[in-house]
Amino acid sequence: MNLTTSHLIALLPLLIVGTTVIVVMLGVAWRRHHVASATVTVIGLNLALLSLLAVLNVTPLEVTPLIVVDKYAVLYMALILVASLACSTLAHAYLEGLDDQREEFYMLLLCATMGGLLLVSSQHLASLFIGLELLSVPIYGMAAYTYRDRTSLEAGIKYMVLSAMASAFLLFGMALLYAEAGTLSFSGLSARMSGGELSSAWTLMGVGMMVIGLGFKLSLAPFHLWTPDVYEGAPAPVSAFLATVSKIAVFAVLLRFFMTAPATGDGWLHTVIAIIAFLSMLVGNLLALTQNNLKRLLGYSSIAHLGYLLTVIVASDGLAIETAGIYLITYVATTLGAFGVVTLVSSPYQGPDAGQLYHYRGLFWRRPYLTAVLTLMMLSLAGIPLTAGFIGKFYALAIGVESSLWWLVAGIVIGSALGLYYYLRVMVTLYLHEPGESRRDATANWGQRSGGVMVLLLALAVLVIGIYPQPIISLVRSATLITAG
Amino acid sequence: MNLLFLIAVFPLLGALALAFFRRMPVNLAALVGVGSMGLAALTTAWVDIAFLTGDQTPFVQTLWTWVAVGTFTEDFALYLDGLTVTMISVVVGVGFLIHLFASWYMREDLKEQTGYLYTRFFCYMNLFVFSMLLLVLGDNLLLIYLGWEGVGLCSYLLIGYYYRVPANAWAAFKAFIITRVGDVFLAIGMFILFATFHTLDVQEILSRAPDMWQRGDLMVELAALMLLGGAVGKSAQLPLQTWLADAMAGPTPVSALIHAATMVTAGVYLIARTHTIFELAPFTLGLVGIIGAITLLVAGFAALAQTDIKRVLAYSTMSQIAYMFLALGVGAWDAAIFHLMIHAFFKALLFLASGSVIIACHHEQNIFKMGGLSRTLKLPYACFVVGGAALAALPLVTAGFYSKDEILWLAFANGHTVLWVAGLFGAFMTSLYTFRMIFIVFHGKENTHAHPARGIAHHLPLIVLLVLSTFVGALIHPPLGNVLPTEDLVEGSTMQYVLEVLSAIVAIVGVGIAAGLFLGKRRLVNAAVGTPTGMRLWHFFHNAWGFDWLYDKVFVKPYLGLAWLHRVDWVNALVNLVPGLARVLHWGLATTQNGRLRWYAGSISVGATVLLVLLVLG
Repeated sequence: MNLTTSHLIALLPLLIVGTTVIVVMLGVAWRRHHVASATVTVIGLNLALLSLLAVLNVTPLEVTPLIVVDKYAVLYMALILVASLACSTLAHAYLEGLDDQREEFYMLLLCATMGGLLLVSSQHLASLFIGLELLSVPIYGMAAYTYRDRTSLEAGIKYMVLSAMASAFLLFGMALLYAEAGTLSFSGLSARMSGGELSSAWTLMGVGMMVIGLGFKLSLAPFHLWTPDVYEGAPAPVSAFLATVSKIAVFAVLLRFFMTAPATGDGWLHTVIAIIAFLSMLVGNLLALTQNNLKRLLGYSSIAHLGYLLTVIVASDGLAIETAGIYLITYVATTLGAFGVVTLVSSPYQGPDAGQLYHYRGLFWRRPYLTAVLTLMMLSLAGIPLTAGFIGKFYALAIGVESSLWWLVAGIVIGSALGLYYYLRVMVTLYLHEPGESRRDATANWGQRSGGVMVLLLALAVLVIGIYPQPIISLVRSATLITAG
Repeated sequence: MNLLFLIAVFPLLGALALAFFRRMPVNLAALVGVGSMGLAALTTAWVDIAFLTGDQTPFVQTLWTWVAVGTFTEDFALYLDGLTVTMISVVVGVGFLIHLFASWYMREDLKEQTGYLYTRFFCYMNLFVFSMLLLVLGDNLLLIYLGWEGVGLCSYLLIGYYYRVPANAWAAFKAFIITRVGDVFLAIGMFILFATFHTLDVQEILSRAPDMWQRGDLMVELAALMLLGGAVGKSAQLPLQTWLADAMAGPTPVSALIHAATMVTAGVYLIARTHTIFELAPFTLGLVGIIGAITLLVAGFAALAQTDIKRVLAYSTMSQIAYMFLALGVGAWDAAIFHLMIHAFFKALLFLASGSVIIACHHEQNIFKMGGLSRTLKLPYACFVVGGAALAALPLVTAGFYSKDEILWLAFANGHTVLWVAGLFGAFMTSLYTFRMIFIVFHGKENTHAHPARGIAHHLPLIVLLVLSTFVGALIHPPLGNVLPTEDLVEGSTMQYVLEVLSAIVAIVGVGIAAGLFLGKRRLVNAAVGTPTGMRLWHFFHNAWGFDWLYDKVFVKPYLGLAWLHRVDWVNALVNLVPGLARVLHWGLATTQNGRLRWYAGSISVGATVLLVLLVLG
């Protein structure tokens, strides 16, 4: 097929990020310079973000049978790029203290971002797989980036091994589907399945295996065990990346798959996904209850949040896309903010990251504003009104009620109640008086550093979305998905 | 008429000013506290004149929308008719005089009991008047209930004004808790009315009630019964009467204002205000009369065996309100309100005079330690004689005669002979215990040296109330014609004269017997009380028929027993199962997080297998 200008425009974000990877790589080959690499990365990501405006003019557009760029894709691309930007600023603050080669990190991060961009615009199982691998493989490196720290290396290896296993499931599932349907495109699969000829056990197995593979990436129960270990071990910016970009991209493609091929979600699969969602809500929250490590706690909390989010896929009706968008936006803003604070308080080779809760004891009395941000993020994660988290949770509940998914609604309610306990525990710790023990602290001028500014902006966003959600809601509403291929 | 709201605003402003500037000098505090009442009194006079010279039609002043939820809307509105005019005149008029007296009394009292704020007293007093005005002016039950609770709160705060003495705090508790029992009934009554009429607007309820209910319907009886429950709590009638005597722990002006003249009559007002409902509920209305009759006898006997001057007056208040209940019960609505007004005059007079006596005798309240005070305390003595005469309803010259005899006559004329006999006997008791008190306090041997009080703040209220307690007070006729159903009995029939003479004789005989028993050496009484039976009887009446003992056994002890049984908090233990369960699940799940890669991989495989099996089998 011929590539026209509009096709190129539609691919601009991918191309720009790809170019940035090359520029950073060449830069490193020529002369190592941390600030320069970080700057180039940030500029590249910003350009990609800007290019989305141009992309909006050509949507919706199919670029090859593999990729479709519609408003839905643009929204999630924007979200990925913003999250990625946030991670790179955090990484910059974090890597400053690293006594090692720092510049390659940005390359890995940009590669993974490209994978995410590809994933959200994929409409074909092949591009889905390529995107997923492009997203995952750099993360192995990123997780183990501070490899002299044993936990970091362990995190990288664990993620790699288990991720490979999940990819194997995914591939097997795809193969089964191809064997049955003879096509790999979402719309093709949909067309074959709605005919009713493909409700065989093999098809079910195929879709089921895909769910297993993607469920692993989304850290849904019972495939969640890796999450806390990797979140804890990986450097804080990487955990943030894993908790945001990776989740956004995989969830977006999963939702697109089920929306484009609704027949795949029928029958028992529907029930099984509901069970997974319910389990994730409970397991995530229960595991977090007495957790003393903030990074692990955020990991568990992400399990629970993805469980809430999965309600959307179970419901799969009118509000689903809107809910997913809003929930992801609020979740991403909140998680980034929380990991941002962790990053600002941690620095490598001052010992492991400041994960333990007691590191944060009395933080309020030293860094009141930073503490306020973390408090706000905890409130938002708990879904307290006037924060973004409340809007997200409200949508999740609304869609559950609307689709009469009472079990899932009950799960959300129980989960929120459990969640409140450990989120409040974190908050209480922040305001306790200092015990006078070894303390971890952000640098005095954290507010002027890019990471600090980013964290403050996120806090503002969380508040604004919580108080006045209308702009975000209308933005998400405009992000329609083209279902008929 | 448009100034109506100002009557309530002035006391509120006074209360706020006194609350915010707690440390203001005593003189200024007195000026604010009494001055706000003075302004309210002037406004009331203005409103009264405007109302009485007009056509006396009800007037509604809507201030703002108070609550608006869905279809439920309640305005913050004041309602003025003949009944309200009577009530606000009593509340503000008598209230002003009592405030004036209190500015003197508290100054004297705080010389003995140091460490209490003068401003706090007047703050609560002003707040009380504000709440009481809301109660009587409220156009809907919600507003009335707000006022109702407000006066209860102020009563609690003022009984416990001298809070450093634990007994006062307990008395305040008791008053608050027992009236709260009544308030719950009132609230239930409101719920019933709201469920039936979907509004709380009093006038609308009253006008629609006859269409909604047949006479004697179960629902209307229940609604009336619940309202009565609230009324007996507030008005200290059987069976919720036990708090009033203990409420005397408050400063004497408080007893005069709250526990004699105004708040305790709120129950009478409530029943009169909702009389349409009670007329539809003959059983409950009959019960009102019976409660009145029994209470007046119980209180009369109890008053005979008290040694504390304020407790004598407290029991007399109880019995006089019982007369009002009796009047309501026999359908003599306007007689009840008339007696309410007259009672406010003479009982406030008696309480203020007793306050004067107490201060003069250096805070002595035991009547047996006084004696012979008529020589030193001329003005209080005059007050006691006139007030006591009005209380005992001595014929022709006292105000009480006119109001009480109207009640007795109407009870008889409406065929309630038993109630009439009870009332007549009660009248005898009243004059007996009243003059017992007067004779013991003011005659006989002088047991203590008294210092007569001086000053206009002391004299003026006593003199004004003294005049109002004579037949002059009876000349005031509440403008109730348009509000309450009137009697179509012929006034001035022979039977009425016969009955009036009879009750006059009863009252005079009571005074005579009191004189025989309690003037001089009191040999007969001492001898009677000296016998074992007499002693036991005296204790029985002294403790007001043992109601406190009974309630302690029937309610308080079992309640404390239940609380003791529940000391481990079973409900909480039950609730604690939930976190316990969460913790167990947490530990169970946490063991899966062992950090071993092969275990993780294995768990994914197992999870995948289960999932696929589910899919294929399903």
